[in-house]
Amino acid sequence: MGEIWQGFVEALRLIVTFNPYVMKIALFTLYVCAIATFFGMLMGIPLGSVLALYRFRGRKFLVTLVNAGMGLPPVVVGLFVYLFLKRRGPLGFLGWLYTPKAIVIAEIVLAMPLIAGITMAALQNENPKIRLQARSLGAGEAGSILTLLRETRISLIAAVIAGFGGIISEVGAAMMVGGNLMLNGEPYTRTLTTATVQEVGMGNSELAIALGIILLGITFLLVWVLTSIQQGSLLSEPVRVAKSLFSRFRKEAA
Amino acid sequence: MDFLISVEGLRQEYDGRQVLNIEKLELIEGEILAVVGPNGSGKSTLLRLINLLEKPTHGDIVYWSGKRLSEIDRNERRELARQMAMIFQEPLLFKRSVRANVTYGLKVRKTGKDEREKMVEDILAKLNLTELADRNALTLSGGEAQKVTLGRAMVLQPRLLLMDEPLASLDVPSRKDLRGYISDLVREMGVTAIYVSHDYHEVLEIADRLAVLIGGNLLQVGKPSEVFGRPASEEVASFFGAENLLEGEVVKCREGMARLRVKDVELEALCELPIGSRVKALIHPEEVALLSDPGDAGSARNRLRARVKEVHVIGALAKVTLDCGFPLVAYITRASREEMRIDAGLEVTAVIKATAIHVMPYVGRPEASG
Repeated sequence: MGEIWQGFVEALRLIVTFNPYVMKIALFTLYVCAIATFFGMLMGIPLGSVLALYRFRGRKFLVTLVNAGMGLPPVVVGLFVYLFLKRRGPLGFLGWLYTPKAIVIAEIVLAMPLIAGITMAALQNENPKIRLQARSLGAGEAGSILTLLRETRISLIAAVIAGFGGIISEVGAAMMVGGNLMLNGEPYTRTLTTATVQEVGMGNSELAIALGIILLGITFLLVWVLTSIQQGSLLSEPVRVAKSLFSRFRKEAA
Repeated sequence: MDFLISVEGLRQEYDGRQVLNIEKLELIEGEILAVVGPNGSGKSTLLRLINLLEKPTHGDIVYWSGKRLSEIDRNERRELARQMAMIFQEPLLFKRSVRANVTYGLKVRKTGKDEREKMVEDILAKLNLTELADRNALTLSGGEAQKVTLGRAMVLQPRLLLMDEPLASLDVPSRKDLRGYISDLVREMGVTAIYVSHDYHEVLEIADRLAVLIGGNLLQVGKPSEVFGRPASEEVASFFGAENLLEGEVVKCREGMARLRVKDVELEALCELPIGSRVKALIHPEEVALLSDPGDAGSARNRLRARVKEVHVIGALAKVTLDCGFPLVAYITRASREEMRIDAGLEVTAVIKATAIHVMPYVGRPEASG
């Protein structure tokens, strides 16, 4: 028990003093996950929309693929990305294995089906006549889909939360294609999860606990922010204040 | 060109099943055309085709610009679509404020901000929605919500407004309220409108013309009084709830006046069909007068001795079912019923003017005798 308590105290010290090693890993993890979530959204939302709104040959196969992708084991994703990126693999010429790019690719593969699957389910649950109504009011094909997506924004944010949560907490793929490397004494492809595994293995409980607390903190904070946006409570007050200031300014100007 | 759109040989099929088949239908500029018919008769399909939301299997629609549906390109299509607006049975409001909902179409059309705001405020005021402008549209009552959809469509100042059963989901007071707003706004703004409904009562007040669509086929188009009073066929008469639709035969015909035999009773009616024609005769119950003394019948040509079979009082009216050789229903006022002491078993005279009997050629299967 004493060791755990000591670990917590040391962990808090590392965090409060902005320990460069810990901070670099935390920032790198955020950076990788943000990029992967962004690209996951960029591909997942359109894919989910197409699968939900259009009927075409091969759709059922793609839907099955996306649904299966929602439960992909990270280690298997890591393995496939590794096989593609390794020196003699089909994409080996890129030289991306054991670089941050490889981690981003693996995380995109993990996040994208989650985002696509939840988007698809959300759009299929929405009244399809909403899109028809948007079109009858003059919106084009793309405009009507954007209107429908806006109507399902609560579910879309849930999709992003699921995608982000899925990749920030995974360790298998990041370890396999990133290698958990240090370069010139600095963390290079080391994420919070891979570093935690490493520190536990080396017996550095304090460091592992510090990394774990940061991981939990970041996950909780970002999910809280997204949830607040989703439930309309985070931005509603600033937006209301901004609107009232703007209208007062306009009145004064008039 | 005095028509706004003209539908020509329009056919629509879903999975090989024909749901709409209209040879010709013209919409006159400035009118409210009500398309009525039972559920599943192709009314909503017709609206979606006109609104360019679907492509027809066959046929064409000529729009006000002279453009034909079959010949327009994507840009022309969008341009045409933007001159129309459609209201559906459900309000289908977006999850935003009332004002944002009403602004939607103007934003799509990239109308300038100042102009947009003025147009939105104007329409909100016209519909008495100004106080609700900042409310989340999803918290509105059914009547308010449908009023917002009307505002959202009318703010676009459409050339053609398409309404698909806009009152169907509302309670009676809200229906009356919204019907008033629709009629006033459409007339005031000079918008041409097509109003689709399965309930003809809903449109009789506001429609300039009625089009009856049954089983995907357009059976009659005309002024409401014309279509209601003189239906073109038995199907149309049945749709309008005809109570006295009698099967008979022309036994005499001279200069437009015919004698019809219904069961063993002969009736005089206006009719041009030749002797021997099998016909259906429609007598509106409110056109049947009941007299205790047959001498009071005036110039009416048909005076039938009848026995009252039953009486149902419906509000201020009494529905009297008679047996005068064939079953006949008459509507009289409750006061008349009390004055004449009409009750089951009473002998009366049913008086029907020859002009009140509408004769149609018989196309159905003859009834089994007896």
